Amino acid sequence: MSDFDSAESTPIPERPRKRQRIYDDSEASTPRYSSPDEVEGDHKPARPSTLRRTHRSRSASSDERSPRPKYRSRSASSSGSAGASPSQTPDAGPSPPAYKPPQLNYKQKFILRGHQKAVSQVRISPDGCWIASASADATIKIWSATTGKHMRTLEGHLAGISAIAWSPDSNTLASGSDDKIIRLWDRASGIPYPVPLIGHHNYVFSLAFSPKGNMLASGSFDEALFLWDLRARKLMRSLPAHSDPIGGVEFVRDGTLIGSCSTDGLIRVWDTATGQCLKTIVHEDNPSVTTIRFSPNGRFILAFTLDSSIRLWDYVSGTCKKTYQGHTNLKYSLGGTFVTGATSAYIASGSEDGDIFFWDAKTKEVVQRVSGHDGVVFWVDSCPMTGLVVSGGMDGTVRIWIDTYEDDTMAREEAAPPEDDYKPKEDPEDENMAVKQENIEDNEEKYHNDTPTGRSPSHERSLARSQEQVTSPERMEH
Amino acid sequence: MNLALSDPFVLAQDYPEQTTGSLRSGHATSVRFNRKGDCLAVGRVDGTVVIFDVETQGIARKLKGHTRQVQSLCWSRFHAPVYIAELHPWDHFKFVLSLFEDQPLLVDCTNPEPIKMKLPTVPKRTQIDDEPIDKKQAAQDAKQSTTVSIFTASGDHILAGTSKGWLNIIEVATRKTIYSTKICTGVVIYLRLTNSGRDLVVNAQDRIIRTIQLPNLSAKDLDPDTIDIEVEHRFQDVVNRLSWNHVAFSSTGEYVTASTYNNHDIYIWERNHGSLVKILEGPKEEHGIVEWHPHRPMIAACGLESGRIHIWSITSPQRWSALAPDFAEVEENVEFLEHEDEYDNHPEEELLKQRLDLEDEDVDVLTIEPVKGEIIDSENTFKMPFQLDLDDSDSEEEFISIRRGEMRRKSFTGTDHLLDGDTGTSGDDRTLKKMKGRSKKR
Repeated sequence: MSDFDSAESTPIPERPRKRQRIYDDSEASTPRYSSPDEVEGDHKPARPSTLRRTHRSRSASSDERSPRPKYRSRSASSSGSAGASPSQTPDAGPSPPAYKPPQLNYKQKFILRGHQKAVSQVRISPDGCWIASASADATIKIWSATTGKHMRTLEGHLAGISAIAWSPDSNTLASGSDDKIIRLWDRASGIPYPVPLIGHHNYVFSLAFSPKGNMLASGSFDEALFLWDLRARKLMRSLPAHSDPIGGVEFVRDGTLIGSCSTDGLIRVWDTATGQCLKTIVHEDNPSVTTIRFSPNGRFILAFTLDSSIRLWDYVSGTCKKTYQGHTNLKYSLGGTFVTGATSAYIASGSEDGDIFFWDAKTKEVVQRVSGHDGVVFWVDSCPMTGLVVSGGMDGTVRIWIDTYEDDTMAREEAAPPEDDYKPKEDPEDENMAVKQENIEDNEEKYHNDTPTGRSPSHERSLARSQEQVTSPERMEH
Repeated sequence: MNLALSDPFVLAQDYPEQTTGSLRSGHATSVRFNRKGDCLAVGRVDGTVVIFDVETQGIARKLKGHTRQVQSLCWSRFHAPVYIAELHPWDHFKFVLSLFEDQPLLVDCTNPEPIKMKLPTVPKRTQIDDEPIDKKQAAQDAKQSTTVSIFTASGDHILAGTSKGWLNIIEVATRKTIYSTKICTGVVIYLRLTNSGRDLVVNAQDRIIRTIQLPNLSAKDLDPDTIDIEVEHRFQDVVNRLSWNHVAFSSTGEYVTASTYNNHDIYIWERNHGSLVKILEGPKEEHGIVEWHPHRPMIAACGLESGRIHIWSITSPQRWSALAPDFAEVEENVEFLEHEDEYDNHPEEELLKQRLDLEDEDVDVLTIEPVKGEIIDSENTFKMPFQLDLDDSDSEEEFISIRRGEMRRKSFTGTDHLLDGDTGTSGDDRTLKKMKGRSKKR
């Protein structure tokens, strides 16, 4: 199939070229503030409205958006012509795990409630002790990975949070929000570091720490990939990465490469040291790539695309090695992970039908499919040490899953008492939670009040000014 | 992991081409990369050791208190100005130092009270003809002092250079000189080994840099009398008669680099043929200590006047074909030949099925393949704890942001003195003056 064919099937010409122009159209966008509830109630808006809303997304407050914002995706933008791609899904439908002896048996251990809105990302800390969840309610919650206890709520962002990342030492948490700001939090105290990372012109959508913890990569709706020096808290490098919002960024195991992906369908691999693009990967059908993950050994890239597929790419040769299908992913930016078993590797991802899928990385077969979430499962993360899997979804819950398949747990120390299964544990700090929830509402109100000015161009300027203020103390020293 | 994707032409380039930047924190006098190459330790005039992160070019850590050892950069507490302090490669509690007009010391600070052991300076004369060493010669020997001493790679021996041009090999266990040879007539200024420890570069006062291949000193059946050290190459500038401030090996030992006295250039020779391959021009400043990155073509040298650290490296151009996967770079025109089925139309489903069926290859996403040349983590398990809150990181004061994302370099007029004087003591200043004086004398 030549590229001409693929160009035909993908509606590139339909893509609005000048997003900027649409952004500048502030008159058209202001009225949208008045009706946040109307969209809020509607969890699954029709695609055209999604399209428009993402275009105007600058004006839209995050309350009305779902946390993993729907993409102005190519497949979404052409609900008519994209008819071909959903037809792929039934072809390679979920292979029933019956004929294959199941190697995984993940069962729900805890349900962590507390977030007021959908949970956009959940991440297990590198030491396996903590779970951080980011939500559209502008808070981050830290939970104990072992007991499910709610440890802390991090408040400070002014809009929904789409991205979080743990530092390699598990002591610092970075969060990227729709308020365009990246904050760094001390995990133990829950206090943000005084100087946030300001520089993105649009929603921060993805974050990744370098393995040494000295750099942070951030991908944003402003189509740029920023590389921050965390010690100096300053922008080190700005990579003009893509021509569409960036869906995901990640560092490779040894930190020499950064991967980024975008709604424009491209996956780019960058050299960390020089900031140069070393490789670009694109699938023939050019589906929007929403998340990428490097494989644990750093040889492959796992790409989540909006054609209900997850592809494993050999990024050196630029060839697609595996395609994992069966789940539904057409509209939202879903994220998954590699799950390291004792003998083999699996791939876990959420689905828009509320289930979590586990594929065998080698055979491409669905090994397990578990349900629990009510609504889209946005993010699934796993801990390579314990095999713990955690998921977060549209229903605002974070769920911890453990593998109870015994033969496969030899290398894992985890011994989960089976009686714990399916016993949703209420949060031990119910009273605290109530307080927190009130706080959240307070915040929201404040945010609503702020909103009209908050998104206006004057806010932009004030942002710039505050950045100057940030740097001014240095000048004072002399 | 980026090697597989990098431009082979860039990878083949193994010595730096041009200046790529400079670092600054106070007035730097010495630099040293760590073994992994991600940190650059910088010793400052005021006794502070600053560790730069090579990746971000920002300050990672500051070690204050005048006496701290950093990987292999060592700051001394001894009253006499120290020529060279060198750490034991395996046991970081041992170090050897050469004192000004005194016997060199081997110091063991394993215990709270450091044990200082004097090392001999007197060369061991080979007594072939059973002639007793005549008195005059003995008196001469006694007068010379050790100017530089370093450990061998295994740490079992110390190589020491003396003011009369002798190279002594001292056994650490017995602290006896097992072998001596006269390698030059002048003062031995500096000795440096490659990472493998088998090659030695000698900087001497006679304006000649010598490279020497060492025998395997840690061999079991080593007979000190059979050691034969011969100079492999002599590098010198015959025309200008330049003398050299500092010498260093490249990561593989293939190249030798030297900073020049009273000159701005940095010379690079290769050792296969012993030819000069590159003269790096850079900032108009004389450079003191020059260091080569342990695995990248990168050289760091500190300027004597400004105290900046200048960095030479290579800049690889962006390969445009990497940005567009459909494009490939070709050396010459390629005639287009249509394949048999190139423009055949297949039904979409069929194509998809074909594509999925092709994905039968076995993939291994878990096994980590060791990269050649990579230092295995178990070897140095120490990871520098990451510090987000540096009390005073003055690397930024060099830049002022004028607009979002734009930085302007700040002029240094007036601030220089303030920076260096803030914690500097008179003792440190004296050290610097002596060091400077020493380089001037040459």
